[in-house]
Amino acid sequence: MPTDKKSEWDWEIKHDQSWFNLNIREIFHYKDLLIRFVRRDIIASYQQTILGPIWVFLQPLLTALVYYLIFSRIANISTDGIKPAILFYLPGSIIWTYFSDCLTGTMNTFVTNAYIFNKVYFPRLIAPLSNVLFHTFRLSFQLIFFFLIYLFFLVVYRNVHPSLYILLLPLLILQTAIFALGAGLIISVLTAKYRDLDNIINFLMRLFMFVSPIVYPVSIIPEKYKFLFWMNPLTAIIETFRSAFFSNHPVYGKYLLLSGFNSIVLLLAGLVFFHKREIKVMDVV
Amino acid sequence: MSNILIKAENISKFYRLGLLGSRTLKEDIKNWWQNKTMDENFMDPGFGSSKNFIWALKNINFEVSHGEVLGFLGRNGAGKSTLLKIISRITLPTKGRILGKGRTASLLEVGTGFHGELTGRENIFLNGHILGMKKKEIESKFDEIVDFSGVEQFLDTPVKRYSSGMYVRLAFAVAAHLDPEILIVDEVLAVGDAEFQRKCIGKMKEVSSQKGKTILFVSHNMQAVRNLCHRAIVLNKGEIVDMGNPEAVIANYLKSEKTQHLLHEFQDKNSAPGNEFIRIKKVELIPDYVNESEVIDIRTRLTIQFEFWYDVNEANADLIVGVHLLNFNGDYIFDVASPRTVYEPGLIRGTCEIPGHFLNDGAYYISIVFVKNISQRLFYYESCLSFDVEDYRDNAGWYGKWVGVVRPNFPVLLQPVEN
Repeated sequence: MPTDKKSEWDWEIKHDQSWFNLNIREIFHYKDLLIRFVRRDIIASYQQTILGPIWVFLQPLLTALVYYLIFSRIANISTDGIKPAILFYLPGSIIWTYFSDCLTGTMNTFVTNAYIFNKVYFPRLIAPLSNVLFHTFRLSFQLIFFFLIYLFFLVVYRNVHPSLYILLLPLLILQTAIFALGAGLIISVLTAKYRDLDNIINFLMRLFMFVSPIVYPVSIIPEKYKFLFWMNPLTAIIETFRSAFFSNHPVYGKYLLLSGFNSIVLLLAGLVFFHKREIKVMDVV
Repeated sequence: MSNILIKAENISKFYRLGLLGSRTLKEDIKNWWQNKTMDENFMDPGFGSSKNFIWALKNINFEVSHGEVLGFLGRNGAGKSTLLKIISRITLPTKGRILGKGRTASLLEVGTGFHGELTGRENIFLNGHILGMKKKEIESKFDEIVDFSGVEQFLDTPVKRYSSGMYVRLAFAVAAHLDPEILIVDEVLAVGDAEFQRKCIGKMKEVSSQKGKTILFVSHNMQAVRNLCHRAIVLNKGEIVDMGNPEAVIANYLKSEKTQHLLHEFQDKNSAPGNEFIRIKKVELIPDYVNESEVIDIRTRLTIQFEFWYDVNEANADLIVGVHLLNFNGDYIFDVASPRTVYEPGLIRGTCEIPGHFLNDGAYYISIVFVKNISQRLFYYESCLSFDVEDYRDNAGWYGKWVGVVRPNFPVLLQPVEN
């Protein structure tokens, strides 16, 4: 009988995955697994390492210190009037670390999880989502550390000037996560198919770090190129982060919106692409 | 409302060969390829094949009803595992579709996703969630799982410190408490010791008969398929070649898989099976037929005769030749050996006699092992002979399967003691 009513069946497996049926309900069904994956990563990464948690704190501070020495003291690049200059580098290095960890983890989804993906079905998106949540957990420690340093300067030296925009911080983090996840999902499907893309991506990542305002402020960019820089979602995120805590310039609302828009478009594209390919890709991993 | 839970329509699966660094695919296909190269002329008009691509499955159609246990048989590379992977949604079919009802859980290995750094307790939850259980479900079954696994003492120890036995027991305990409508099991029974396998089969039987679950099941263990399944499907080169009652399907399968090999003879020493120490010249099974029908039955006396070139030139190196008889479940029926003796290099002949009225009816094969100084295996000539033993009953009043591995006619005598 060719007239099987679709409703009679709960599921259908066929060659073509639909583009838009993202099956959010199914992902919700697996929320316990999502939480358990995050938990696994947290436990596993801090088991048997004394320095583990401390390293998470130290990493942005040491990075900021190196940036300070090289880019501020030696290369003499502007820190947009933020004093002490080392504080200028902290937001950029924290956001960059978070972004690159999320992106790298997401883009390696298929390779890292091949051993599970080859044996069991669950919505594959659970794996990159858990990766992003795990890095958000690490980020929260770095932020606490940042607040402590910030408070120290605020109370002892009184030379930093917070604004109400501090409340935007969760949004900035969400935006970074969305951007990293969206880009990561697309790259994950591509690298699973073409392994040598890995090297190119690593190279591009290093390049991308320097076109993001991490070791310099946007204010030193020549006016005619500025718009290109604002197209990069990280630019508005980092600049807003700085101005919220240091009031070195007003918050550029429209660029923040643009950044949000770009990130969301990228995420949607990533979700659709990932969903379309998530199972087929396993034939070549 | 029909009773059909799964309906596969024209499932075909296409694999491209040799592209990219594909790890798992390579393994999947390697076995297939070995079969393939043996039969170069095989060409299906609808599903052409070349060195660059293959059809791992071709137009597979079947239905599974509620509560049915369906077994899949076939050689390595026949497509069984690919089919289960498609039903499990791990890989997609190239053509066709599968429609289904109800929650499925696949058990393509035990302990998927176990993490060595995590404790047994953590892993129960992790593995349970991966297999599709919800938190509440695992919590409510937690004690049962722990009981079943028998690793209660080590629940808070990282599983990397577990023995492999404990690890498998814990992993299986989680899997055994899955509660889906459809369970997909692939060769899980191949791991672990006999005790563990018994436990697995017991549990599967319980799940299917008491809870009325639907199970799709791949195994090389004919006994397990015979015991558990209501229906069996045989795959060969990606196609369904037989389907139906397991007893009949298994019988046909074994018949097609084995060709009766009663004689192998090799004239050229260098191309004969063996190695630098042993070269086989001839192995032969000589039946002493009871009548002209030339059928080996339970009464037939069988002589195994073999000749081999022996080339170990060491003083005092002694040789033992063992003859193994196995049935097609892979059970050893016996292992008999020649006495330890030192031989000069040269051609040696051996004989071994299996008396009539000894073997039960069934399919058997023989392997011959050559051992130096008790411990060093020189050569194992595996499954070199195979044969069938047919049933024979004189005063036939009963036609059921005569049980037992052997069928001796030891007398059983009765004597009236009191009237």
